[in-house]
Amino acid sequence: MGRYIIRRLIQAVPVLLGATLFIFAIVFALPGDPIAALAGEKRQDPNIVAIIRDQYHLNDPLLLQYWYYISGIIFRGDFGKTFAGVPVTQLLAGKLQVTLNLALVALVLEAIIGVVLGLWAALRRGRATDTAILASTLLLISIPTLVSGFVLQLWLGVWLKQVTGTEIFPIAGATQGIKSYLLPGFVLAGVSIAYLTRLTRTSLVETLRSDYIRTATAKGLSRRRVIGRHGLRNALIPLVTYLGADLGNLMGGAVITETIFNLPGIGNQLYQGVYLREQPIVVGIVTILVLVYIVANLAVDLMYAVLDPRIRYE
Amino acid sequence: MSKTSLRTSPAEGGLGDEPLLAVEDLHVEFATRAGVVRAVNGVSYSLNPGETLAVLGESGSGKSVTAQAIMGILDMPPARIPKGEIRFRGTDLLKLSDEARTQVRGQRIAMIFQDALSALNPVFTVGWQISEMFRVHRGMSKRDAMAKAVELMDRVRIPAAKQRVHDFPHQFSGGMRQRIMIAMSIALDPEVLIADEPTTALDVTVQAQIMELLAELQRESNMGLILITHDLGVVADVADKIAVMYAGRIVENAPVYDIYRAPAHPYTKGLLESIPRVDLKGQELYAIKGLPPNLLDMPTGCAFHPRCPYRQDNCVTDAPPLYGISGARNSACHYWREVLDGDPR
Repeated sequence: MGRYIIRRLIQAVPVLLGATLFIFAIVFALPGDPIAALAGEKRQDPNIVAIIRDQYHLNDPLLLQYWYYISGIIFRGDFGKTFAGVPVTQLLAGKLQVTLNLALVALVLEAIIGVVLGLWAALRRGRATDTAILASTLLLISIPTLVSGFVLQLWLGVWLKQVTGTEIFPIAGATQGIKSYLLPGFVLAGVSIAYLTRLTRTSLVETLRSDYIRTATAKGLSRRRVIGRHGLRNALIPLVTYLGADLGNLMGGAVITETIFNLPGIGNQLYQGVYLREQPIVVGIVTILVLVYIVANLAVDLMYAVLDPRIRYE
Repeated sequence: MSKTSLRTSPAEGGLGDEPLLAVEDLHVEFATRAGVVRAVNGVSYSLNPGETLAVLGESGSGKSVTAQAIMGILDMPPARIPKGEIRFRGTDLLKLSDEARTQVRGQRIAMIFQDALSALNPVFTVGWQISEMFRVHRGMSKRDAMAKAVELMDRVRIPAAKQRVHDFPHQFSGGMRQRIMIAMSIALDPEVLIADEPTTALDVTVQAQIMELLAELQRESNMGLILITHDLGVVADVADKIAVMYAGRIVENAPVYDIYRAPAHPYTKGLLESIPRVDLKGQELYAIKGLPPNLLDMPTGCAFHPRCPYRQDNCVTDAPPLYGISGARNSACHYWREVLDGDPR
């Protein structure tokens, strides 16, 4: 097991290098001059511009620039500075926390709602409840985050507050602890909830058809025990994969949700970084996201071995 | 006379002679998109303590469905039991409440399945799965139940049972897995054990060991054994009596010796002739011509008539009843006398 983890981590190195180089090159290719953008409408002293360009190695070829950047990370843990002089690590530290909170709230909501609805539908297969749940997942999949975000903001944020007189779901900012994340978390999780519901339903229905479920019934166990112990334990295995991989998707998808709910997370920052051609910010965020993906996938694979004894790594 | 000869009716011998298990005129049908499939059409058989009944037939003959109806593990719907009785010690199981039925299932009537790898839960240890019987049905503590599991694994002769009790099903060989399945099924000393093709997925040498084990366990506990199989070789060794099924009906039932000596139904005869024999080496193997009927579109009259070498005109129009031949012997063939006497071909 230990060797397996090490091998997987070594495999992650070229993935990280490749992803960062790719993003670095894309930002490099973007039109516009970041130094000119610094001064806005004002006229700049060509000498100062030249000094700044030199300081940030902007005149060097792409690969050399990339080498300066990546060697800083590897040898000094230095993710670079913004053009305004703020270290990227410092800039992102607090924002990463916000996005992580948002993604985790979304993941928990997804897991609870998706699994409960999916199991419910599976146990009522072919009946009205099942059909209703399936239809609502289709609806959920079809509504873009932009629409659901604003609509829920209006209904649950504004109208509900007017009706009840208290603010149950804050609609902007991250100042009220977990409460601030409930509504954006749900919006962010929306489509994933729908997919997980369907996946859970299918997985349990498939599992309940297997021979060992028939055996469990033949042992004279109650239906509750047959489904709850013998069925669920097997049906949950594929869901773990999906949830693990989805953590990365949720963090990436936070860009839009953070903008709608004005949450100061890395999604928001990524948008500004691209807009201002702040290479270190964009690449820094992408590196973090790639790391999250890699770690989440590794965690999923390790969970797999715990959940399914037939899988052993070595 | 047909069916009544299968059992001892209360009028003849009183309740004391009621068999351990009696299936009486059982019908099972499945609702499908294409129509209603009548998988079991009036099957009757009975079983006494210590007795082994072999139920023979091709896939789709209804032998497994009958067994699942006895166990009460059919999915209903789509399955339906429109008619029939399954009496266990005189009580019709089909009239019991779900709860009362659950008390019988697994504890008094147990079942083992064909493919032990898929029939055992892959994510629990074999010890957990065996001991579950004691924990759930006998309220034993985990530790006591696990000790019982080791005992049972010893009893079905799994080497190093104490060490292997914490292994998972996939870590065992096919034969060992089937032993675990058997250990689980006999955990609570059932009175009836149904074995649905218990050796089909196994090597021939292992098959013999498993059959031997079943026979031995049966001798020790005097349980009734229903052995569902399509392997005539297995049957000859262990069965006391045989019920041959075709297209959801019993076409012949008889003590095992009678059937092997002289079958009284053309289908049974065909089955026996299709066993490979050393003295006929080099000759083409005999096969019953044609295919089993489509249960959605059954032939008129006798279901076997399109494949039958003894066919006469009335076979196409009249379904034969189960004719009584002698004692416990029946055949659903209008021309059973001709079949008994010899070969028309």
